[in-house]
Amino acid sequence: MPGAHLKWGWAWPANRRNIYNRASADLNGNPWSERKRWVWWDPHFVNPPDPKTGKPIPPGKWVGYDVPDFTLTMPPSHKGKPDGIIMEPLSGTDAYIMRPEGKGWIYVPAGLVDGPFPTHYEPHESPVQNLLYPKQQSSPVHKVWSQGKPWNQLAAVGDPKFPYVITTYRLTEHYLAGAMSRWLPWLSELQPELFIELGKGLAKEKGINNLDYVIITTPRSHVRAKALVTDRIGVLKVAGKTIHHVGMPWHWGWMGLSTGDVVNDLTAWVGDPNVSIHEGKAFVCNVEKA
Amino acid sequence: MAEAMGFFTDTTVCIGCKACEVACKEWNQLPAENGGIRELSGDSYDNTRRLDGIHWRHVRFIEQFKGPYDGRWLMMSDVCKHCVQAGCLEVCPTGAIIRTEFDTVVIQSDVCNGCRACIAACPFGVIDINPVSGTAQKCTLCYDRLKVGLEPACSKACPTDSIQFGTIAELRPRAQKRVDQLKAQGVEAHLYGADPTGPLGGLNSFYLLVDKDEVYGLPHKPQLPSRNLTKSAGFSVLSAGVLGVLALVGLRKRRMDQVGGSGGSN
Repeated sequence: MPGAHLKWGWAWPANRRNIYNRASADLNGNPWSERKRWVWWDPHFVNPPDPKTGKPIPPGKWVGYDVPDFTLTMPPSHKGKPDGIIMEPLSGTDAYIMRPEGKGWIYVPAGLVDGPFPTHYEPHESPVQNLLYPKQQSSPVHKVWSQGKPWNQLAAVGDPKFPYVITTYRLTEHYLAGAMSRWLPWLSELQPELFIELGKGLAKEKGINNLDYVIITTPRSHVRAKALVTDRIGVLKVAGKTIHHVGMPWHWGWMGLSTGDVVNDLTAWVGDPNVSIHEGKAFVCNVEKA
Repeated sequence: MAEAMGFFTDTTVCIGCKACEVACKEWNQLPAENGGIRELSGDSYDNTRRLDGIHWRHVRFIEQFKGPYDGRWLMMSDVCKHCVQAGCLEVCPTGAIIRTEFDTVVIQSDVCNGCRACIAACPFGVIDINPVSGTAQKCTLCYDRLKVGLEPACSKACPTDSIQFGTIAELRPRAQKRVDQLKAQGVEAHLYGADPTGPLGGLNSFYLLVDKDEVYGLPHKPQLPSRNLTKSAGFSVLSAGVLGVLALVGLRKRRMDQVGGSGGSN
């Protein structure tokens, strides 16, 4: 189904799904292609008079699937005032309305640490070599806190002591580290205990049954959790190797109605180059039956 | 009577967030089991497992996988079906269970004496005792909210409109349209409980399913306790007849014995 599905959930602040979406239309305001139709200029739209001044507004409006991120009645032919203030310099083709000059930039002189184009680096901890850049395993500009300190030991590439890939994530029932939601009976009864989701193949290999306690180890720490054996998660085939993948929610701590070990103790103290978000989606671990 | 109101639950868009379960508990002030201190069930993401006196909504998680990543995860938010012919209403000895002006089925807690007849009578296992009140309880389809023109708490909270609330007259064609749409996409889909000529006269909370009814824990042919009435009545008449004949035979034998015995001794 084409469309922005604006009634599915809510996107702060204006329920707009793509910012700068005027750029989805060409300079004349028409969709770049039928397949990429998103927001476009309807020159025949009849506008009501300005509610404040009562003055008539010429026909034409930005319409489409999404909430247009543009002055709604500004035609593509509008000329900006070069000496104007605030948004007055912007013309009807300047889609990037929060930039002073209204243009999208590929390169920036300052601000971003990496870029401008996407590429592939392995996570800081990975069981495989980077196939794309054999000499550059992970991003050279990763933020690494406490480098070399005992509490931030990092596993070497393909370290046999930590053969599995682990992903951490959230559940709908809890909020962040759970400091608020783990005290709420209604939420705690829905997800009452910390667990690790692991595939049936790994469970069989390690003799782990559903609900058995499991110890998960990384170079930083180890935690205990109950096993949830499922085919929803399983094996990855990477560079000819079969690598088991496990997953853990990170909502638990030692206080509240529902308590459990702190999964963020496992996570590498590595952050993304620009906003320093923890690399909690991909690191390595070992799993043993407790 | 106002128009018949109910739920259409489109299980294909349920994301298993359980917002309906929490919204229901919050509005109806239902307690958590054991104060919320519980153990992991190990059954997918389902840790409440069933509908009962303090869980009036329940999200079922069904994992259908042939191998790693190869399969689908079905989710379904279950609730009282508000049957047009309701088994619980049939058996309630105190009149605590009523049919409302919205054609829904409500248990009045202040009238219920906790006899549990309705628990056994419900073909869907919806009702159970709420330990706080000591009476049988279940979904009221938010009767108090309907009274003031609000939609039930669960459907209000549902972020994907998997639970849709409305008049039955409007919901049924909408559901059929969705089935047609899915079938056009090659998805096996059918409605459960949308047929007014079907079992129990139709359900005012009906479902769109993509697998057999039983996969979702729903009986294919739900039945009423009164299904046994005709047969039982027949048996009663038959046994009354047999007992009558036996009694006549017995009486006759005693009389003959008396007559024969006195004749013999004299």
